[in-house]
Amino acid sequence: IVIIVILYLSNLHNRCDLIFLSYFEGFEDLCKAYQKALNVVKKEEGGKIPGFFLRCLVDLEDYINQVWEDKDGRKNMSKNNAKSLTTLRQKLRKYTRDFEEEIRLFRENPDAEDSDVEKDEVDEDDDDSVMDDDEPLGPAAFKKEPSIPKEEKKVVESESDLDSDESDWPSDSDETSSSSEDDRKIEGRTRETFLKKKVDDLEGEKTKKEKIRDKRKTKKEKGESDDDTKDGWQSVSKKAAIPREKPKMFGKDDEVTIPAVVKKLSEIMAARGKKGTDRKEQIELLHELFNIAKENTLGLPVQIKIQFNLIMSIYDYNPSVSDPMKVDFWEKILVKIDELLDMLAITPELAIGEHITEESESLEKPPYRVRGCVLTIVERMDEEFIKLLKACDAHSNEYVVRLRDEIQTCKIIDKLLQYEEEHGMPSDICRIYLRKIEHLYYKYDKKAAKQVKGELPEAEVTSLNEMDRLCKYIFVRDNTDRLRTRAVLCHIYHMSLHDKWYEARDLMLMAHLQETIQHSDLPTQILYNRTMVQLGLCAFRHGNVKEAHNALLDIQSGGRAKELLAQGLLPQRQYERTTEQEKQEKQRQIPFHQHINLEMLECVYLVSAMLIEIPYMAAHEFDARRRMISKSFHHQLKNSERQSLVGPPESMREHVVAASKAMRNGNWNLCRSLLLNDKMNAKVWDLFHEAEKVRLMLGRKIQEESLRTYLFTYSHVYDSISLVTLSEMFELPYGTVHAIISKLIINEEIMASLDEPTSCLVMHRTEPSSLQSLSLQLADKLYNLVENNERILDQKPFFSRGMQVIIRWFPFFSLCLPPEIKIFEKMLGPVWRCYSGGPQKIKKFCVYFFF
Amino acid sequence: MQMMLMKSTQLGNFITTQLLESQYSYQTSIEESVVLIYDPNKTARGFLSVKAYRLTPEAISVVQERDYTPEVLRKMRLGYENLFQEIKVVIKNSHLLNTLLCELFEMMPSTEGQQFLDLGTMSTLDRQLRCLMEYVDDLSQEASKFNNLQRQLAKQQQEKHKYLQKRAAENAQRQSRGEPPLPEEDINKQFKPIPPIPRLDAMITSGQITNYCKQISQFCNQSLGKLYVSKALQ
Repeated sequence: IVIIVILYLSNLHNRCDLIFLSYFEGFEDLCKAYQKALNVVKKEEGGKIPGFFLRCLVDLEDYINQVWEDKDGRKNMSKNNAKSLTTLRQKLRKYTRDFEEEIRLFRENPDAEDSDVEKDEVDEDDDDSVMDDDEPLGPAAFKKEPSIPKEEKKVVESESDLDSDESDWPSDSDETSSSSEDDRKIEGRTRETFLKKKVDDLEGEKTKKEKIRDKRKTKKEKGESDDDTKDGWQSVSKKAAIPREKPKMFGKDDEVTIPAVVKKLSEIMAARGKKGTDRKEQIELLHELFNIAKENTLGLPVQIKIQFNLIMSIYDYNPSVSDPMKVDFWEKILVKIDELLDMLAITPELAIGEHITEESESLEKPPYRVRGCVLTIVERMDEEFIKLLKACDAHSNEYVVRLRDEIQTCKIIDKLLQYEEEHGMPSDICRIYLRKIEHLYYKYDKKAAKQVKGELPEAEVTSLNEMDRLCKYIFVRDNTDRLRTRAVLCHIYHMSLHDKWYEARDLMLMAHLQETIQHSDLPTQILYNRTMVQLGLCAFRHGNVKEAHNALLDIQSGGRAKELLAQGLLPQRQYERTTEQEKQEKQRQIPFHQHINLEMLECVYLVSAMLIEIPYMAAHEFDARRRMISKSFHHQLKNSERQSLVGPPESMREHVVAASKAMRNGNWNLCRSLLLNDKMNAKVWDLFHEAEKVRLMLGRKIQEESLRTYLFTYSHVYDSISLVTLSEMFELPYGTVHAIISKLIINEEIMASLDEPTSCLVMHRTEPSSLQSLSLQLADKLYNLVENNERILDQKPFFSRGMQVIIRWFPFFSLCLPPEIKIFEKMLGPVWRCYSGGPQKIKKFCVYFFF
Repeated sequence: MQMMLMKSTQLGNFITTQLLESQYSYQTSIEESVVLIYDPNKTARGFLSVKAYRLTPEAISVVQERDYTPEVLRKMRLGYENLFQEIKVVIKNSHLLNTLLCELFEMMPSTEGQQFLDLGTMSTLDRQLRCLMEYVDDLSQEASKFNNLQRQLAKQQQEKHKYLQKRAAENAQRQSRGEPPLPEEDINKQFKPIPPIPRLDAMITSGQITNYCKQISQFCNQSLGKLYVSKALQ
């Protein structure tokens, strides 16, 4: 280990890329290793500290000091590096204080120490029978080891077992004997050569390290398999070792019976979860046992039981829950589970379940009873699959390759589903159904889409029917709320995906999820968000702009759509996430192939907001306090207004904003061409399954809403407008124009009447006119101002100028009113109301002025 | 020698900080300089609009100090109304030009300039109202700022007072016990004086509002006159 540490350090040293974090770790490893070796060193050398260790320390110290002096360099370091550097420096100082004397000596005369070491090494070589595996003289020890008696070797191995580093380096031990030959060559060199070889690149070092590990591993296996061949071990590769393990499990003459196998199995499994257990080896052993059971035809139940445990230990192999399992294990597990399910399928008289205890198992004669839960295994497999996907870069080939396993996963789920349908309990069936649903709900089925359109008969089996069947089963049978909620959401999602808008909407409304969803767990909330988004998109495709807007509003309003849909982490502004939080959030992420396109989502939202908001803004231009329908849309508009120079639109947002501006003027043609062009098609509209339909719908909506906006904005300059002209202007059929205008009139949004014989829209001049409403608005503002001024006056009597200001220009304001006395009175009303609460002086003044 | 700063304007929105600054620098370097405000829009409609303004001496002395706190303004008796003083503009043409004008007048078709009852006023009034509202908003904001300041001041004053009282009480107690009084501390250190808000913006906004109001009232006066005339004619 020390060697490795040294190599590691020196390697980094040479690379000089200031990764102090790694340095720091390396240093800690070094200290640990030294601690371990300490008692040996004491024994061997009378407490003398090995020279190379000292040199290592001195080198490190020198280097750190050198870096420390370089202030500029230090400033340029990343935060982590700088921190590590400081810690390392302090620790090293503290640590070296123990060795002050030695280091001083060493610094004075490094060469002497070196030769000393050489000598030491030789000394140690001579009597290293008690040597620890962590002994600094690794290479020499290795060289010697083959001659060590068996028992001692075992001690060594068991010790090394306890070292955590063994499991930290789960390197492939499929090395062949040729590599151990290499090892021998390397070992043949002295440590000095190692040190001189510092210049080797990292890769070289790594492989060397691994080789040393492999070697040890091979050795260990040998040790544990009670192999008594002492010198032939180099030529024994691991693969060759397996057949030799068999006689170890059962002697050649031993009778292989079911109880014997079960006993062996429980022996192996007893080690499960213990610290020193080599998980890989356990898997191998179980595999072996399985083969034995198979060869000796002990019957399927035994095999099933072993297979169970085998799968469990493969799951166990990965120590961390958040990390995905290794790919080769994953592939293995797929095969194993498949086999297991096949076996289960052909032994109908077998009962399997968690409720069966070890004692009540019966493996020998039917009815068989086996403890274990296939469902859990399959569920775990499904989770592992998603973890694996998440670990891949979503845009790499690797992801695609992994995604191919989806078919296999689905197959396994289907198999289990069949099995459970025959044997299982409703709650289990619900669980497996949900698994199936979750693999199904986000996939677009062309057949189903055709069925919705009526091109396929209802009886045809599509994903929609399937979904319907599974979900309804869950609705009826499930007792846990969670499964039902998820099933409902998936069902809605799937229906919205296939344009079954009314069914999806009704189900959403019936489920009443809106009220309770915030109490459910986060993955379900995410699913809810996804469903709402999908529902919104579906509404948009159907031309229900308002519904689409309402569905998407919550997701889009905070600008946190990405986070809410769990499609990526957003950078936090206020505080940094702890690693724990980040880990949790990463676990929640949805795999890439299920993502909903965020740009499309935003575009749909903005366009719906535009279609609602622009006519609304035009209609309520003079309202003193008009509310905003969509804040983020206003935000975009404002952003664009703030720019001094607005160029031609580039991004999706700019397109929408430009289109909104065009629509404000009633220029529907420009608006449409801004939204429906090649750029936007490529970015957004082509992502819909029926892009052409959506485009047509959108074009029509734009025409209609532009007409409304136009009428709101410009009706005051008309006395009458011919509907025919309008329908020509907006290229809408006469009927549609008529309908829109009639609706406007009925809702009293415009003051006009239709003159049927001439097919004209006759405007009525009503009050308040724009000027009057402006005056009203002004009166409101004045009221605010007076309030503010009064407050100032209340606090300090000296400041009376504000009052003067008001009084001074109050008359001018009122003069701008139309002179007819009727309106005058009308105008006076609100103004009077404004001032009636004010001080006497103003009141008097008003009275004086008006009358 | 007279220096003139020409400034064009729309709807009379000429009172700004920039104008104040530039006019100040002109007027301090050349005593007699004035600013001429010219409204091309109005002129195009047939009303020659040229106005001349100068900064008042009070305004100059305030701008010199760049100190726009309420106290200074009060002391100098400077308000928005006496920031600028208008100077009467007398246009004198050369004889040659007068001749030309007479000639042009005769050449003018007789129907031109007869439509004095035109009431096409909506848009102008509309625009002016909008501008006015903008400034009212600004002024309102300024007022609330000032209001806040006052509140803060009052609060601080109260705290200061409390502190001093407490201190006095303690000192009296100490004196009765024969101990030396507490050392004098700088009270301003403990209660940092809140910087007063410059009132220049508010003043300028008010001035601008007055300007608008004058214009609107002038405009309305004309319109009213026209309306009554037309009523009489009907």
